[in-house]
Amino acid sequence: MITARQLPEDAIRARAREGSAAIFPDVAGYGRSLFGADVDTPPDELDRARIVPPVFVPRRLEKMFDLAREPVYGDVGLSTVLGGFTAPSPVFLCAFGSTQVAGSGLGIAASEQAGRLGMPMVIGENVVPMHGYGRMGESVEDGLLGRIRAYADAVPDGLGGVVVQQSTEDADAEVWNLVYSDPSATKLLETGRLAFELKVGQGAKPGLGGMTVLSRTAAGEIAEQYTVDEAFGRDQAMVLRSSSPGTFTGEILRQQIHLMRNNYPRARAWVKLHPGRDVGEAARVAWAAGADAVTVDGAEGGTGWAPSVFLDQVGLPLVECLRRVGKHDASLLVSGRIWEGARALKCLAMGASAVGLGRAALLAVDEDATEGLVRLVRCLELELRLLASALGKYDLADLTTDDLWFPGSSARTEQDG
Amino acid sequence: MTGTPDAALPPGTREHLTSPVTQAALRIQNSITAGTREYLGMNGFVELQPPLIGPVTDPGCRGAKQVDVDYYGHKYKMMTSVILYKQASLLAFDKIFYVAPNVRLEPLETSTTGRHLVEFTQIDVEVARASREEVLDVAQGLLRHIVAHTLRESKVDLATLGRDQEAFTALLEEDFERMTHREAVSRLQGLRHGQSADAEIDWQGERIISEQTNRPFFIVDYPKGSRGFTDGESSTEPGVLRNFDLIASDGFGELCSGGERTHEYRRLIERMRETGENPAKYAWYLDLAREGLPPSAGFGMGLERVTRYIAGLDAIWQANAYPKLPGIATP
Repeated sequence: MITARQLPEDAIRARAREGSAAIFPDVAGYGRSLFGADVDTPPDELDRARIVPPVFVPRRLEKMFDLAREPVYGDVGLSTVLGGFTAPSPVFLCAFGSTQVAGSGLGIAASEQAGRLGMPMVIGENVVPMHGYGRMGESVEDGLLGRIRAYADAVPDGLGGVVVQQSTEDADAEVWNLVYSDPSATKLLETGRLAFELKVGQGAKPGLGGMTVLSRTAAGEIAEQYTVDEAFGRDQAMVLRSSSPGTFTGEILRQQIHLMRNNYPRARAWVKLHPGRDVGEAARVAWAAGADAVTVDGAEGGTGWAPSVFLDQVGLPLVECLRRVGKHDASLLVSGRIWEGARALKCLAMGASAVGLGRAALLAVDEDATEGLVRLVRCLELELRLLASALGKYDLADLTTDDLWFPGSSARTEQDG
Repeated sequence: MTGTPDAALPPGTREHLTSPVTQAALRIQNSITAGTREYLGMNGFVELQPPLIGPVTDPGCRGAKQVDVDYYGHKYKMMTSVILYKQASLLAFDKIFYVAPNVRLEPLETSTTGRHLVEFTQIDVEVARASREEVLDVAQGLLRHIVAHTLRESKVDLATLGRDQEAFTALLEEDFERMTHREAVSRLQGLRHGQSADAEIDWQGERIISEQTNRPFFIVDYPKGSRGFTDGESSTEPGVLRNFDLIASDGFGELCSGGERTHEYRRLIERMRETGENPAKYAWYLDLAREGLPPSAGFGMGLERVTRYIAGLDAIWQANAYPKLPGIATP
């Protein structure tokens, strides 16, 4: 057998053997695995950055004036307004899309715990086309309605909110109209805690629409609406279902947001962007058109099915998205491998208003369906308090890039301080 | 208006159908449709029968949900508006109209506006190669004729309902004012109503502005983003739509919407994307547009709304034999 040590032989041989199935992660893991950039990828720039507390802490002195005692980490305030919702901390629950992982009861468990925490929750755009809405004989458990009910029953008054996504092809399902006219959503709507999110793209697969793996029978039922591809081979039981990525120009994005605001005046308007090279410009267009929040999913974002080349090589890392978007008065929400306080704080220091939990949240509810997410968020909140306090800051809005040091960045002079 | 609270709900079917108010309102409505056919017939319009279901209906606005129908395994829609079919019908005749039933699952908050029904009828008019100004004249002429016809034919019923005929003197004698959306927004903001400059005039705003006048008037030039893709954009003022609403006087609000239509293939695709629509849904319509649809303008006038206005009813459900209000399950 010939060898070629300079090339990834295993991957080349897998393609030769399996055809297009080999450009995706192992299909046998679909429905049990959460996808995203390869685990062997070294820690990204955001993880490598260090949080650098100063010696002099004038804001701690200010806080001491308020308290008449030395401030401690418990004095760091975490509550915030994100995308028009009041949240106990700058954390929200990301959309899980239609992945079977979230459909198997975990979506409901995550919704209930997010509600209990009062954290805003985003519901994926194709939950309705794939799992149904939950009315007229459809299963409530996996459908959109089940998740909204689980959340709404648990959420404390005055906190949180539900965000329902819709993308180009899901417009056929009229998800937003369904929710807007549903009696189950009335309480959220009347208390200003319902938002709709226009999904322009997603982190793990910039420039691609949603993708799922389906049985041939299930694929036959949705063949009129989606592209169905024999990516894994004609002899396999599973096929690939793809959505169109949608077509956007500045004007199209602007007008779609105007139309959202006009059609759903009682709901907030959110926009989700993929980590594209013009993400800064797109975010500014969205805010100028009246979006209450812009969510940017870094290339590290995951959960859903995507070709390996997209997971590993396409899209800007979250840290570069944050640089290109910068700080803004309106809400900038980010996601991408967030699970603990340090990475969250770095995002906030670089201009984010809040961070989203995706895969980490699903793993947490998988570990403990009643308390896992609650515990994960409590840990993150404690770390945020400890870190911000170490920086001498008791309001997260005071965090800046001065609080971070990136290895390899040019040496700072004394005047920089 | 008769003094019943706006929020009052329809009674049971027997009580509603045997009520003298319902009977007078429905006879007045009969006079309105007769007047409509008389006026449009005299002016060279051909009445066509509207389709009830199709692969798509109009894109909708203001959060109304469409109703799906299983059409031999294909997902069809009940018509929320026949606008796409009106444009297509101009391939047969230059001036057409329908008296068309529509179904829109309106948001729950509209159940108490007194102006929304889930099932309703529109007088749908479309004219090939007409400008907006030409159809404004048609809409004004039609409403005047309907009112004159009804005042003449339905004296007893109007008296039963206590409707004062003097309410229509200005309508019959003076041209309807035309104000831009920008002027309407500014007027409402001047009245301390928080009207968005980017959006349609909201329900409360329409009522407020309607209460300020003694005859109907037109609001023209809505901003892009406030309406669906069928409303044509101005070629000289980007972002401004060549459309209009006809607003009744005395707080009765909107009676009619219309304008010049988007008809060019490439613009239709662009405008569909701007309104979040998937062009693949509209294949039959886009095939027609690719080969050429005539430019046109037209409008849809709500039959129950006009009935409510002329009859002076408190709520629109009083102008329908089997009223369906948003979220309320009725026959």
